[in-house]
Amino acid sequence: MNYTDPALRDRLAAEYVLGTMPLRARRRFERLIAAEPALGTVVAAWNARFAPLDEAAPAETPPARVWDAIVRRLPPEPMALRDTSAGGWLTRLAFWRGLALTASAAFAALLLYVALEPQAVPATVVAVLTDKAGTPAWIALRGGNHDNVRVSAIRTLPEDQKHAYELWGIAGSNAPHPLGLLSRQPDKALTLPDTDLPAGTVLAVSVEPPSGSPTGLPTGPVLYQGKLLSKES
Amino acid sequence: MPESPLQLQELIRRTARRDQAAFADLYAKTSPKLFGVALRIIGRREIAEEILQECFVAVWQRAADFDPQRGSVMAWLISIVRHGAIDQRRRQASRPEGSAAPEELLYNLAGADSADRGAELRSVQRCLAELDETSRQAVLLAYLYGFTRDELAVRFAAPLGTVKSWIRRGLERLQQCLDA
Repeated sequence: MNYTDPALRDRLAAEYVLGTMPLRARRRFERLIAAEPALGTVVAAWNARFAPLDEAAPAETPPARVWDAIVRRLPPEPMALRDTSAGGWLTRLAFWRGLALTASAAFAALLLYVALEPQAVPATVVAVLTDKAGTPAWIALRGGNHDNVRVSAIRTLPEDQKHAYELWGIAGSNAPHPLGLLSRQPDKALTLPDTDLPAGTVLAVSVEPPSGSPTGLPTGPVLYQGKLLSKES
Repeated sequence: MPESPLQLQELIRRTARRDQAAFADLYAKTSPKLFGVALRIIGRREIAEEILQECFVAVWQRAADFDPQRGSVMAWLISIVRHGAIDQRRRQASRPEGSAAPEELLYNLAGADSADRGAELRSVQRCLAELDETSRQAVLLAYLYGFTRDELAVRFAAPLGTVKSWIRRGLERLQQCLDA
């Protein structure tokens, strides 16, 4: 099928929202939406056409156990947990439960209302941090549309609950200033405002306690270093 | 009480910032409507409860991604619940028992409570009324109760191809009328 035909796109989106597509066709269409966010706009428009029917339909209050189950499934948020005011529902969390089930179930529907990415300008590499042997371990990218620099691992580093990798910036002969803790996962970058990183800054990574250096200066060995290229180069 | 779209938008915005009170408020304000949607399609309370649960866990995780340019909060939430309910229905072998006739529900819809939604609802109703009777019934049975094409074919004692063209024609006319 030619999925670029606007009439066909509209018809498929309508049948998707109506729910008359067989399950396999639904999945196929959802893959199309994921690959092409503009199609999500067409689907969202059909949702909006029909939604008034649902909004006017009879409501029914769900039993309290539904809310309790939702609360149990949320990971504790550090900020929310600090809020120990009476009745704060996250404080009732007994344990953290995996969320693997959730994400896929409603994912396609969630996608429909996600903003289209602005036309991405390719990111440029501004620093590569290597170990003493010269092996690259961390990469710093300046995003095309954003005035920021994102630092992430090049490959997944082994988990270690007792230590954290902390990033430092060293401008000229100044003392290192802390920039934040780095994730061991390549897909989780530490984002820094561009203004924190003047050209010529040396980036360094040290090994610190899990919550970072207690002193504001590196306390563990510096394992990786790299120099930031200037914006113009 | 019906909530204004802007109020719900504000609750989503605060939920994205991990505001637990806002999330609880969002649930209190929207869950009865959403539970009604799931219950109508799936017809079984325990499954409708699970669908609602999935919906709100997902909302907590993805609230930051919500873009008001693409629709209202309520339309977003409805689409998530419908998604879960329709998927579940497609895995079930047979229709749940005890579905009310859509005409009856549509009649009830005429007494809608919210003035804000009233105009939109009236135009959907007006455009549905312009469809020929079988197209209208097929579209409503599918949307409101999750009927599959096969189930519609049985219900109307019509060939599958005929049902497909009713739906197709119904949706085309509906769009023309609503977008006019």
